[in-house]
Amino acid sequence: MTAPIVVAGGSRAALRRNFRRGVWRVLRRKPSRMLGVVILIGFAFMGAVGPLLYPERLPRDDDALYAPPSWEHPFGTDFEGTDVLALVVTGSRYVLMTALVTALITVVLGTAIGLFAGFRRGRWDSVLMRITDMKLTIPALPLLLVLSTVWKFESAVEMGLVLGLLGWGGVARAVRAQSLSLRERGFVEAARGLGLPTTHIIGRELLPSMAPFIAMNMLIAVTGAVYAQVGLFFLGVLPFEANNWGVMLNLSVFGGGALTSTAALPYMMAPLLAILLLTLGIVLVVDAMDEIFNPRLREE
Amino acid sequence: MPSTPSDTREDSPPDAPGRTAPGVRIGGLSVVYRTPAGELPAVRGIDLELPPGTITGVVGESGSGKSTLALSLLNAVQPPGRISAGSVQIDGLGDVVTLRGEELRRARGRHVGYVFQAAQNSLNPLKPVGRQLLDLGRSHGVADLRALVREARDLLGRMGLDGARVLDSHQHELSGGMRQRVGIMFALVLNAHLVVLDEPTTALDMITQATILRIIREVHEERGLTTLVITHDLGVVAEVADRLAVMYGGRVVEQGPTRQVLGDPLHPYTRGLIRAIPRLVGDIGEATALPGRPPTLATIPAAGCVFRERCPLRMDLCATQEPPTVAHGGRLVACHAVEGGIREERAGAGNHGGQDGAGGPDGRDGAEDPDGRAVAAGAREEQA
Amino acid sequence: MITGQGITKTFRQRGGVLGAREVRALRGVDFAVGRGGAVSFIGESGCGKTTLGRIIAGLEGHDSGEITVDGVAMSSLRPRARRPYFRRIQLIHQDPYSALNPTRTVYQALLAPLALRARQTGRPASWVDGRAGELLDLVGLDPDYVLPRYPHQLSGGMRQRVVIARALTVDPEMLVADEAVSMIDVSLRLGILALLRDLRERLGVSVLFITHDVATARYIGDDGELYVIYRGQVVERGPVETIISAPVHPYTQALLSAIPVLHGLERPGAQPVAPTGTLEEDKPDAGCLFARRCPFATARCAEEVPVLGRTGDIPQEHACFHPEARSVVAVPAGRA
Repeated sequence: MTAPIVVAGGSRAALRRNFRRGVWRVLRRKPSRMLGVVILIGFAFMGAVGPLLYPERLPRDDDALYAPPSWEHPFGTDFEGTDVLALVVTGSRYVLMTALVTALITVVLGTAIGLFAGFRRGRWDSVLMRITDMKLTIPALPLLLVLSTVWKFESAVEMGLVLGLLGWGGVARAVRAQSLSLRERGFVEAARGLGLPTTHIIGRELLPSMAPFIAMNMLIAVTGAVYAQVGLFFLGVLPFEANNWGVMLNLSVFGGGALTSTAALPYMMAPLLAILLLTLGIVLVVDAMDEIFNPRLREE
Repeated sequence: MPSTPSDTREDSPPDAPGRTAPGVRIGGLSVVYRTPAGELPAVRGIDLELPPGTITGVVGESGSGKSTLALSLLNAVQPPGRISAGSVQIDGLGDVVTLRGEELRRARGRHVGYVFQAAQNSLNPLKPVGRQLLDLGRSHGVADLRALVREARDLLGRMGLDGARVLDSHQHELSGGMRQRVGIMFALVLNAHLVVLDEPTTALDMITQATILRIIREVHEERGLTTLVITHDLGVVAEVADRLAVMYGGRVVEQGPTRQVLGDPLHPYTRGLIRAIPRLVGDIGEATALPGRPPTLATIPAAGCVFRERCPLRMDLCATQEPPTVAHGGRLVACHAVEGGIREERAGAGNHGGQDGAGGPDGRDGAEDPDGRAVAAGAREEQA
Repeated sequence: MITGQGITKTFRQRGGVLGAREVRALRGVDFAVGRGGAVSFIGESGCGKTTLGRIIAGLEGHDSGEITVDGVAMSSLRPRARRPYFRRIQLIHQDPYSALNPTRTVYQALLAPLALRARQTGRPASWVDGRAGELLDLVGLDPDYVLPRYPHQLSGGMRQRVVIARALTVDPEMLVADEAVSMIDVSLRLGILALLRDLRERLGVSVLFITHDVATARYIGDDGELYVIYRGQVVERGPVETIISAPVHPYTQALLSAIPVLHGLERPGAQPVAPTGTLEEDKPDAGCLFARRCPFATARCAEEVPVLGRTGDIPQEHACFHPEARSVVAVPAGRA
């Protein structure tokens, strides 16, 4: 809502440039953070471009069912003789897309509701928090079971939507608690005293102070969403129409007997490794969030 | 609970030898903090003696190193800080800097009592005061906890509180002044005879402050203590201390008997500081802000005088050579200008920007109107 | 002109030993601050002075009484309509560290209120940048240095100056400074006080100064008025110099006696007054509120309530049955 103001000397551009430089500085401070960023970029690339590298229908090799790892098939093949690596790469889009949508919905909804309730207090707060409480009491898994009987979750967006709508409660509560304490701070009172609009106070004063917290929640929501959907597919709760890491796990364990025989082990390990690697990348990057959004830590 | 006074033995202080006020000699003490920019000195080459039975006040602004100095007395400087040189000799205890582990822990509390900077908030909010007292007693292996409780109650009673009631209270049930007294009780209850009070009256209002200062003075005399008071407030020191040390940028720039230092300050910083305090009587226009701002750990000059950037008596020498600490009568001053006999010149020349004889009893001269200039000049240089 | 009549405020606290209890923070306070004037409220912590400041700045409501801004009674307006009036009264917080958003630069902190101001007054957007520089100049800061910096890069004194500059963005009529220098280094305090005094003279801004340190109140304006508050009630009111040199209420005398004496430079006052006991809120309210701590209290003080007013030839207003001027403050050692 800030007016379009011509800023002398491009001050706002300068700020943005400084911010970018600061982020770079923070990331370089620890090699682990750079590694995390590289991993996340890798996954983003895999989800965006990966599936394009393979044909629509992955080739099968009936002579090499459950083939062991080799140069040709780094993670071996599955029960149909399809390359496991190709399955992981083509399956990543659904998983990552879902995770992204879930995280976005969780954070946007949770932050908006938490901020509004915490800043407004009073009646709005009571109503919103009662809704949040009710939402928190809904058991997600049974609800998903019920939903899956009527809904196929063919698109990742649908899946993400459902997981997101089920997941914002915790964030809303935490953000509300933060804004309740922040609104007592001198600078928020000063903004009110200066007559600045509520949109400014929430968007420009409260939100930036919570940015590290929100960013962390966003990243953690990504891992949560990955676990949730992979778990659902693994359990076979959802009918698998699409290629997916959870489906792979399910087939390797229940179809290939990966837990009892070694033949399907690489088939099971590949998606597991992908999930672990993704989690690792996120954990490493989360470590930098505090420093990125706190000017004092960023500039030092 | 702690409020049962049923005990027959008389010796109230728990296994207390008949100790008396110890003397303390701090010699060449330096404390450095590790930062991304390397090790920076918070306290550099401090020599300070606390004669037995006296109250010494250390005055300084933020970044002067006064709290670090106080922590050094217990060898309690926390990483990333460390004592890099010097010694702290305490009578009956030896050099604290060389103490380690269990020895050190026992010395704290028994020999050296410490009242923390935010004593108002340093109590455990979840436990009543009495329970915290028992914890303290047990951790120091006090055999007779009843006597400890009785001692605590007596101390609190001495400070004008209802001891039994206070011991049964939680932190939130006590006012700021009461908590401060509880903090003093904790520092004294193990019969320490050297007491360090870090900002004992910050965040208290005037009447409570006056009460606490009176208590500090009285308890000091009754129990025969050696006391060190750390504060940013010259008024506090003036009320309570026999001797005064002024710290700036990690050094002691002037020290001596309180009345002498206040009545006839020698170091330009001491003079400026006294002059910067608005007083209740006299021409209010005489009060003048010190130009510039106090250095932080990162901006303390590595060579030369730490005060030179704000100093009206600055000379070329000050940029390169650290002023040695020189005795002037009963006082020690570290200033090239003072050493060079500038004082004599000063008597005649009135062109030192009104800094002359900043608050001397006879120094209420040359009060050219500093209004407005204090704003413009004072603030502008603050960011230099 | 900003006035208040009979302002009362009662806080209801939950918890504590006795369960819910009431704290009467303000018991009918009247005040008036004229254009460019200086009024100081002094008293112990818990006397209600901070609450009064927040109420005057419109950050908190009050139970009864009336605040008028330039003759307009605030109670006659709807909450939304009050805002432009309360905007003319800006609060300077005690803590310059929390008063500035750590994630925003000084430029950003000034930009938002200035942009709003530009829109309200129909000024071009380009006015904002020039004005930000002007204001920083006014408070004694170098705009080029300060504008691009974050609060943590500035000293306490500079931060407080930025806070004052931010308050000036809306062209206020009055600044309410609540212990505005208590968290600032001693050598820098005077600069802030001088700035407030300077703003009075140059801009005609009035200052309502809340403090427990009477000497700083004197520096804001020796032409100003002093209000001494005890337990939510004004017990003495008059010109600063008069009250310092000849206070008549025993509470004022106790406050002034408690100010440290710079031994060596000063001698203590001839007739210091020490209060008995400590401030306790849960006492019954019969008679004079200070009677129990007052060394001069008589039977009458425990029964009747003294009202603020003038008696005899005492120049200042007071609420005491036995007013007697005493010299309690320290005097320079050099003088007789």
